[in-house]
Amino acid sequence: MSTPVITKPGTDAAVKGGPTLSQRLTLFMPLIALVALLAALTIAEPDFLTQRSLTAVVRTSAPLVVLAAGATLVVLCGGIDLSIAALASLSSVLFALWLPDLGGLTTPVVIAVAGLIGALQGIGHVLLRIPSFIMTLGGMSIFSAVALVISDAGPVRVTDRDATKWLTLYVAGYVPMAFAVAVLVITLIWLALRLTPLQSYLTSTGYSEASARLAGAPVDLVKVLAFTVSGACAGLASIMLVSRNFSGSPTMADNLLLPAVAAIVVGGTAITGGHGSLWRSLVGALVITLLRVGLPIVGVPSAYEQILYGAIIVVAVALTLDRSKVLIIK
Amino acid sequence: MSVNVESAPTPSPSAAAPALEVRGLVKHYPGVKALDGVDLVVRPHEVLGLAGENGAGKSTLLKALVGLVRPDAGEIWVRGEKVRLKSVVDAADHGIGMVFQEQSLVPNLTAAENIVLGAEGAGVRRGVYRWDTMRRLAQEQLDKIGSHIDPLARTDTLSFADRQMVEIAKVLRIEERTSHPPVIILDEPTSVLESKEIETLFTQVRRLREFASVIFVSHRLDEVLDVCDRVSVLRGGQSVGEVATAGALPAELHRMMIGSTGADDHYHDTAIRRPEQEPEPLLSVRGLAGKTFRDVSFDVRPGEILGIVGVHGSGREDVCRALFGAEPTSAGEALLDGRKLNLSDTRSACAAGIGYVPAERKIEGMVGPMSVADNMTLAKQKARCVGPLVSPRKQASLVDRWIDRLSIRTPQRSTAIQRLSGGNQQKVVLARWLVADDVRLLLLDHPTRGLDIGARSEVYRLMRELANNGVATVLLADSLEEAIGMSDRIVVMSDGRMTAEVGCPSGNKPTPLDLVKEMV
Amino acid sequence: MTSPAEDVDVVAARPRPRRGVSLRDAGPPIALVVVFLVFSVLSPEFRTLGNVQNIMDTASVLAVVTCGITFVLLMGSIDLSAPGIMGAAAIAVALLVANNRNDHDLGLAGVLVAVLLAAALGCLSGLALVLLKVPSFMTTLGVSAVGLGVATLMFNGVQPNISDDLLASLAVDRLLGFSYLTWLAAACVLVGYLIQRYSRLGRYAYAIGGAEEVLSLSGVKVAPYKVAIFTLAGAFYGLAGVMVTSQLSAGLVQAGKGYDFAAITAAVVGGTLLTGGRGGVLHSAVGVLLVTVLTNGLVQIGVSPYWQGGVQGLIVVVAVAAAVLPQRRRNQVVK
Repeated sequence: MSTPVITKPGTDAAVKGGPTLSQRLTLFMPLIALVALLAALTIAEPDFLTQRSLTAVVRTSAPLVVLAAGATLVVLCGGIDLSIAALASLSSVLFALWLPDLGGLTTPVVIAVAGLIGALQGIGHVLLRIPSFIMTLGGMSIFSAVALVISDAGPVRVTDRDATKWLTLYVAGYVPMAFAVAVLVITLIWLALRLTPLQSYLTSTGYSEASARLAGAPVDLVKVLAFTVSGACAGLASIMLVSRNFSGSPTMADNLLLPAVAAIVVGGTAITGGHGSLWRSLVGALVITLLRVGLPIVGVPSAYEQILYGAIIVVAVALTLDRSKVLIIK
Repeated sequence: MSVNVESAPTPSPSAAAPALEVRGLVKHYPGVKALDGVDLVVRPHEVLGLAGENGAGKSTLLKALVGLVRPDAGEIWVRGEKVRLKSVVDAADHGIGMVFQEQSLVPNLTAAENIVLGAEGAGVRRGVYRWDTMRRLAQEQLDKIGSHIDPLARTDTLSFADRQMVEIAKVLRIEERTSHPPVIILDEPTSVLESKEIETLFTQVRRLREFASVIFVSHRLDEVLDVCDRVSVLRGGQSVGEVATAGALPAELHRMMIGSTGADDHYHDTAIRRPEQEPEPLLSVRGLAGKTFRDVSFDVRPGEILGIVGVHGSGREDVCRALFGAEPTSAGEALLDGRKLNLSDTRSACAAGIGYVPAERKIEGMVGPMSVADNMTLAKQKARCVGPLVSPRKQASLVDRWIDRLSIRTPQRSTAIQRLSGGNQQKVVLARWLVADDVRLLLLDHPTRGLDIGARSEVYRLMRELANNGVATVLLADSLEEAIGMSDRIVVMSDGRMTAEVGCPSGNKPTPLDLVKEMV
Repeated sequence: MTSPAEDVDVVAARPRPRRGVSLRDAGPPIALVVVFLVFSVLSPEFRTLGNVQNIMDTASVLAVVTCGITFVLLMGSIDLSAPGIMGAAAIAVALLVANNRNDHDLGLAGVLVAVLLAAALGCLSGLALVLLKVPSFMTTLGVSAVGLGVATLMFNGVQPNISDDLLASLAVDRLLGFSYLTWLAAACVLVGYLIQRYSRLGRYAYAIGGAEEVLSLSGVKVAPYKVAIFTLAGAFYGLAGVMVTSQLSAGLVQAGKGYDFAAITAAVVGGTLLTGGRGGVLHSAVGVLLVTVLTNGLVQIGVSPYWQGGVQGLIVVVAVAAAVLPQRRRNQVVK
């Protein structure tokens, strides 16, 4: 969907003033939300703030963190990846099916294949000029269908627990390995962006694709790269899920799409592109996981979870949207 | 090009109040005085031409007349009554309407719906459309101009000329809102028409005179002289006079549009140029063609500034973009240093040492929320990298050096570029191509647009310096003065073709008058 | 040279008029006939009357959903809220008509309330769009979640099975060989067509999709129409949810699962453009038939039904690419 951009005549005077109140708010929104939520839950249930339950929250959040982080790259480019959950489900099935034959190599292979699939989506988006949300919406149903067919619509047991055992360990006795891996992955991606021209290319593509192209930035390449990483992250998330469920299934990650989107927007990444970061999505994912885990603890029916996601998404997007970019919103 | 159409007998202008009068209209944009005291009188039942070169203020004046833009000072009087126009609908209520060139019809609605859009009246009863009434209402307007379009045809199935008729009919509907003859503004209506269609249009315009007043804007002065009763000329945001068209010559209008000034001293060389050596051309363009231009061929030598001048529709902007790989070409080629250029994408152009500064700084030039430093190093990443990695130290010293060299006023390196003034933003965008010291050819599209005097002269100084260092430049200037003052040679384009190529050496510059003749 | 929508002067290119019946208008019906014939040849079970009735029955719910989403697409917006709204309506109606969970027996009034609830949810999407300026795919995603949450709350762990005669008969009884649900769907398509052709709401939906800025420059307040369209779409989804409850004789939270995507596929395949302004209810109806015939046919010739979603996914990607490719420009920004 393209939207026309209407501009005002160029101003010669410098724009004075720092960030507005709303901008300041969105800067710290995820952290504020995290702290507020923790506080609220502890008040409702004083036993909540123990090491055991916090560790559980962090461990549960790991797949969502990875999923959201990967998709954040696509959002930073100005697009959206709606296929992450379906791709994770498909990857879980692939993992379970290939484990007997590939043994220890299964993990890197599945991640690589997921990344490749993501790359294909990116290439389709770039070459065919299909809006990313349609491309990934289509991808979502294709991945789902493939997963259903090769798994015969049922879970595929993983009998060899050793392959994924490492993910269930604890780093230094406290931090769940899965979460540590998630943080490591985010750090690596962040470093790759920060230390190379990629950050500039990515940000400029998201903020102003036209300007980026006219400055010679490799916009198409950056987009494909973003989709590749998003796919690979979906692959990694699937392995984390498998390590917990000891099976792969064609619908395993399907209910993670909405939380992932909510995590990204709650984290403060703007869906208009350019503004945001992987770390924000990490915090956003923690917030969403807290919601998920915390609601039952305080006796709120899990049905409200959905309603909350919906409200959160709308409000968070309303706050972080860059209005100056697009005058006609469809 | 003159058109032979029988003039209808004109009803004699009444002695009543003018249909529309503008007194001392002023509109400032930051850094630019678009309107600086414009006076205009439109008499009832007349066709008034409006002429002026780019930047003279025509566009802003029209927008003010039709309510799209609010003037800072001055008055607009309609039939002897002072009015404040707050919106297009407001202007319509006062009887003023404009036929825009594009995007003022909804393409997927029928012509009838477009004609009555927003004021369907009897055509829609309680939310339900009565198509026969819609047809009738539309037909009433179409009959006024003698058009035979089927009102219920979908607008995007109509030819361009027919769409223009629909636009005119839509504007004519204004008559229903006021009981007075409307004022109809036609903005460059002939630019995209073919000669037969132009004849038809002129017939319509003469017909309109019977029950309306018309303001006819066109850069084709022979047309203006043909169809209008009088012509009002704008220059530099001011009215410079009126001419009755009977017996007037285009040359007279040219003189009024341009004035008698030569190239302003302001733009003269500020440093001694190294002597011309006639080296081999750096850029050779041969028979380049694209959607809006064809048969474009010229050379640019190292150290030379080539100005391309032309009015809207000349295609010069697209030529620049095509050379940068930002616009598709259908024929021809360009050679840089004798090697054929890859015109298919911007990255190849960058790698070949070409830089492009777009006209629309805000949407195509800079990445607003990004820092000055990042904007400056966006195109030439290797200038700030050590190997594959970005070196913040290298970037800092590089950016500081150029901030200093170009006198860019910014609080810090890391300030978002959108917080700088326009002039400084432009300097950053320019610097983008200079930081790697590898630029061979610069394509500058309206580089001083929206800049104040001080910023402009800094940009000119920079351009001279670069030229002295052997950089070839193609300049699309904002005004003829700028083009003449800065260029070594000038190419004139009109309606997609090159119409002239003139030398512009310092000390023997052509006058704006010489150029305008080829532009219109 | 000026244009009203920009403060920048425009260099006018010469747009070419469209002549004759376009591929977009003629293609889908032709494709429908072709696909039908192909499957008739490939599978004897396909071409039985019973199967045709089956196809129509299957298509009925999708047709109503697609009818609603068509209006949103015409405006240039997108609507992902069908699953949530359908779920909420499905449970609501199941709890309001005669059922095994409570003593309500509101019959037709219950249906009406469910549809109104759905319309209110649609209205929410529209309001968030015009007031908060959040893009439609986010607002509808959010409203879908809200709808699902509301449905889950109402469901409260115990599935409501209905025993209402009217709803039961809709699914079971037949008129001229087709179930009443199919006739209902046909009526919806007809109503949708009338709205689109003869009402200001419908015509302005086209206009908003075609050139929204022109509409507002002509003094029309666009926002109320946008909200009204989303509300209308919501009402259609609500009716579809009621139809599912009728088919299943029970209210399910997942009554609308997959319908958002299926409806978009059907609309796009039928010739309604995602960018808005082109297509319409009749186009979408053809698209619904095309998609339903295709999936039914594939199953008949032995393709696993699991491929259904994948085939739809492929179709929508191809259809959008085919629509977009001819118009692509260099340096076009595609998000």
